[in-house]
Amino acid sequence: MAALPKRIIKETERLVSDPVPGITAEPHEDNLRYFQVTIEGPQQSPYENGVFQLELFLPDDYPMEAPKVRFLTKIYHPNIDRLGRICLDVLKNNWSPALQIRTVLLSVQALLASPNPNDPLANDVAEEWIKHEDTAIAKAKEWTKLYAKPTQDEEPAKE
Amino acid sequence: MGNVPGKIDSPQDPANRKQQRSESLNFGSQGPKNLNRNRRATSLVGNLLSASGRARSDSYNSANGYNGNSPNPYKKKSLKEKEKLKEKHARQLVVKYNETVDGGFLAPFGCYNFDKLDYEADIVKNLIIERRLAPFYTPLQEFDQTWTREEVIKIVDGLPLHCSFQQDPEEFEGVPTGDLADDEFDYLLDSTASKREQRRQRSKISKARLYFKRVGWQERANERYLELKLMNKKHTEAKNPALPSDDLKYTLYKNGAECPICFLYFPKPLNISRCCKQPICTECFVQIKRAAPHFPHEEVDPTQDQEPDELKDPNLLVSEPANCPYCATAEFGVTYEPRRDVRTGINGIYASEYKIAEYKDREGLVSDSSSNEDDELVTIEQIRRGSIAADDPSVITSDSIRPDWEINLTKERLRLARRSAKATAIHMSNQLIDPEHPSRHASISSSVGGPDGGNSPQRRQKTLEELDDEMLQQAIKLSLQDH
Repeated sequence: MAALPKRIIKETERLVSDPVPGITAEPHEDNLRYFQVTIEGPQQSPYENGVFQLELFLPDDYPMEAPKVRFLTKIYHPNIDRLGRICLDVLKNNWSPALQIRTVLLSVQALLASPNPNDPLANDVAEEWIKHEDTAIAKAKEWTKLYAKPTQDEEPAKE
Repeated sequence: MGNVPGKIDSPQDPANRKQQRSESLNFGSQGPKNLNRNRRATSLVGNLLSASGRARSDSYNSANGYNGNSPNPYKKKSLKEKEKLKEKHARQLVVKYNETVDGGFLAPFGCYNFDKLDYEADIVKNLIIERRLAPFYTPLQEFDQTWTREEVIKIVDGLPLHCSFQQDPEEFEGVPTGDLADDEFDYLLDSTASKREQRRQRSKISKARLYFKRVGWQERANERYLELKLMNKKHTEAKNPALPSDDLKYTLYKNGAECPICFLYFPKPLNISRCCKQPICTECFVQIKRAAPHFPHEEVDPTQDQEPDELKDPNLLVSEPANCPYCATAEFGVTYEPRRDVRTGINGIYASEYKIAEYKDREGLVSDSSSNEDDELVTIEQIRRGSIAADDPSVITSDSIRPDWEINLTKERLRLARRSAKATAIHMSNQLIDPEHPSRHASISSSVGGPDGGNSPQRRQKTLEELDDEMLQQAIKLSLQDH
């Protein structure tokens, strides 16, 4: 569809006028379906004090199809793989068109707070998480310190 | 199944079958001394494939109660038949000014891609005519409560029947379409290309042709609508009875609501979810459907190896009924309570004859007291208390507007079963023909042999018989699966 659907326009406006604490999402100038996202690591999680860069894309069939979300910042998490892909039910089978960019990003943030090694995407991380949880958490903290630094400029960390 | 690229079509398809045969023959072209063996292999493969094909159509005819009178939905349609059906469907999706129900239409405005409008158009049209589903109202991008009656009427007057089409979409760039009025377009195909390539071309061309035809149909309908609206303005005496009166436009659009899914503004009442009583416009409702057949998602132990999808039993494929987008209750369905003060178009009065005044006394509606109208609508929405069961006669479920979901699930299961049968068959014939094939070596060396090893004629015969048995068992297994 050539024109941007009203829904995307309104969601974008509402993200700006009523932002979610700890989350930012800004559309790209050239492509209003492509968003640069930051998510703060939840408190009391291994990702605390980290600021993670993500990209979010709204496919042609949005909202009947889930947005595509990917971590750009390296992260040690059983449900997020080396390419930043996320295993999260609402991004797949449990997507509902009544969900929004805002709710999806909140779900991603919640996933940081409660990793689920029994539904893994990064098998090595999940295995470590199950066998040696302490070491895995320590490693997640270490990676957060190393890679998820809060930055002033908007450029996402590129590999 | 990397060993059977692109061979997912039914063996009943003639083009595909020919290809299979030639592949089988290729296996056999290794030299004259292998002739006997090769013929066996060819016929075995052929038998296995046709046996599974037969078993399939027989078992499904009986299992689903399709007798000779009703068309068998599992019968493979020819390309031309498919094209005809698609065109018929596309015609049904054209919005027409003179097919209205209570100021809305029988076909969608076009918020979603045409490819996604795969519901049964006949069923939905009838539900709208029966006032069991809200009509497809033309949405407004915005609504401002401060708009005056004149402003509302002016805005509604400016609405087209269908949203604008993308001019020359990239997808169809460089695709020839020929004369759209001519049903025949074989001359557009490259006759020097392979059969397969021609099929690909044909599907691309027919998709592009359908797009441009559809644009043409809708644009003609739009033009007619515009002309009539202009004529109506000029000749206030002889109004076209199908065009809505100003009172109707105002009554409908003054009382609207935003659909929580597309964020567009529609006249109230909208359809209401049967479970949590949330509104949804008809255009969004017809988008919601079962997920495509898939294997159930399981939580797994990451320390264990997993079975790849290709090796799973096709009968495990599932397709759950759509969930409510708002509260995730299974078997999504909606109910619709039409306005009692508006009944125009099909099975109603002419849209041009609708007057607010007629209902003023009875319903207490006054054109300039919007608060009264709001109250009245609120009560309509609240008539229903609590949720309603999916099988309640007033509920329209997502499955009821796509009744072919079960056929699609079965088709997908069959497709997978066939694919693995073909892979097995080809794998087996490789074993027979290629003396260097690892599995053949394994079977030969593992069997107790004389000094001649696997090269003696008896030995070869033994192996062939074993393989024959194995394939027979596969065929039996498959036909059992079909049942």
